[in-house]
Amino acid sequence: MFKPLTLRTYLLVAALIALALALPHVIDDSYLLHLMILSIIFAIFASAWNLVTGFAGLKTFGHHAFFGIGAYASALLGINLGLSPWLTIWLAAVIAALAGVFIGTPILRIRSMPHVAIVTLAFAEIVRITISNLQGITRGELGLWGIPAFEGFMLPLIGEVVFNPSVKLWYYYLALGLLLLSIGLIALMMRSKVGLAVVAMRDGEDAAESLGINLARFKLLVFGVSAFLVGLAGAFYAHYVSILTPMAAVGPDLIILVIAMVLVGGLGTFSGPIIGAFVLTFLGESLRVLDDYRLLIYGALIILSIMFMPRGLATIGSFFRRRPAEARAD
Amino acid sequence: MSSPSQQPLLQVEQASMVFGGLVAVKDLSLDLRAGEILALMGPNGAGKTTTFNMIAGALIPTSGRILFEGRDITRMKPDGRCRAGVARTFQITQPFHELSVVENVMVGSMVHHTSLAETRKEALTYVEMVGLGAKAEAPAKQLSTGQRKRLELARAMATRPRLLLMDEVTGGVDQKSIPDLVALVQRLHGEGLTLIIIEHNMRVISELAHRAIFMNRGEKIAEGTPAEIAAHPDVVELYLGEAAHA
Repeated sequence: MFKPLTLRTYLLVAALIALALALPHVIDDSYLLHLMILSIIFAIFASAWNLVTGFAGLKTFGHHAFFGIGAYASALLGINLGLSPWLTIWLAAVIAALAGVFIGTPILRIRSMPHVAIVTLAFAEIVRITISNLQGITRGELGLWGIPAFEGFMLPLIGEVVFNPSVKLWYYYLALGLLLLSIGLIALMMRSKVGLAVVAMRDGEDAAESLGINLARFKLLVFGVSAFLVGLAGAFYAHYVSILTPMAAVGPDLIILVIAMVLVGGLGTFSGPIIGAFVLTFLGESLRVLDDYRLLIYGALIILSIMFMPRGLATIGSFFRRRPAEARAD
Repeated sequence: MSSPSQQPLLQVEQASMVFGGLVAVKDLSLDLRAGEILALMGPNGAGKTTTFNMIAGALIPTSGRILFEGRDITRMKPDGRCRAGVARTFQITQPFHELSVVENVMVGSMVHHTSLAETRKEALTYVEMVGLGAKAEAPAKQLSTGQRKRLELARAMATRPRLLLMDEVTGGVDQKSIPDLVALVQRLHGEGLTLIIIEHNMRVISELAHRAIFMNRGEKIAEGTPAEIAAHPDVVELYLGEAAHA
């Protein structure tokens, strides 16, 4: 993880980006593009949650709070102050990060991870109930609508960039840009000294602290960055779907889905959360006929992936390659 | 070579550690001069590891003071003490399982460098020093107990400490590796390191330590050269009596 990247990795990433850029011109289908955009939103959310839980080992179950804070903050800034979404998504991400630092400061002193999980989950419920009850501002369960869309503009050589419900193309490219930015930020952080400190902290807090690592500072840093990215994903979501309800933007279903994505894709890997987000978004859509019973399928998937590929789909290649060697070692 | 100042490197003044109703360490005082190797001895539950934890910062004493280079570090956190020059190894080794051997040591050396490449370069010298050069890129979880002890030593040394606390230098290490480990500790001492060791092997103590403190039930009951401790009547009764029969 801390060795220089190989040419092969660079080429693979470049090929994937090229594929993602070309995709909408191959599948010109509004519904499929919609699923791609949802997958990307979840990929950002899942990658950011993975940063905290997979890389730093902090078991937080309340990250949907930051998704909702980002979504509502960006929407409300747009509606009430008339600010452009191009500005408010960043302001909303900063607000989510501040909320992350605010709630993180007391929580991250707790060394018992089950307690961290419960307290963060409770925090998210408080955020949801607050949004639900602040009807004068958020319209509560009635739903917040009239959220401004991203303004279009002219791009030299390429043409007009427009954002409206019937033209998904530019939403897709914007989401893709935000995803690349998020992954880039996470990868840059994790491959630096910060990443080394964070992984050491996950594998052995006492040992890491005895080697000069300030635990509180690194925990707060990853928590803040993670909340920022989740808030950004939530803000984009608000302007994309253009209607928010407390259950859709801060419901516990969200975090359950994200946890499933990360576990199936690969906890503590770079590509796992992205793979998991795409697999489960498309799977969830094809299982829509099953209604709530599809949660059973998610549950079975999580159990099967933990049993047979504990590091997720992201490591499935090495799983097949390493198998014989490990069998010999036993 | 010795500094003209007579101030001890480490002073523990009347330190006590109470957990609920249990007094783990009671009114312990000790002075450690720069360049010394001090052994902490005593039966299980004597308070040796608790004393280490108070010096390294994992525990804050219920009462008393701890001074390092004349500076009060009683309430300083472990990471701060590490930067101040106090490093430790753990009785039960705590390797970072998902990292390679050299990456484990990089965690220790990174405070001294800005770039990861330089951090790695310095870490490798410590990996070589403890004889794990061939295993540098192997995952830490693949190491044997003896190799883990060496890894912990390399990791702690990478922080460039002036005082090293070694909890069970030879615990869990096979007999034929012990002379190597003793020689390694002697070499580090020769380069100017001051050490406190917790050790049960009397031969290792007499080879390494200049001075020993014998603890029982949280209190210091004897202090002197290893030979004096070995001959002390209370110690013979409490500790070596059993060992002599073993």
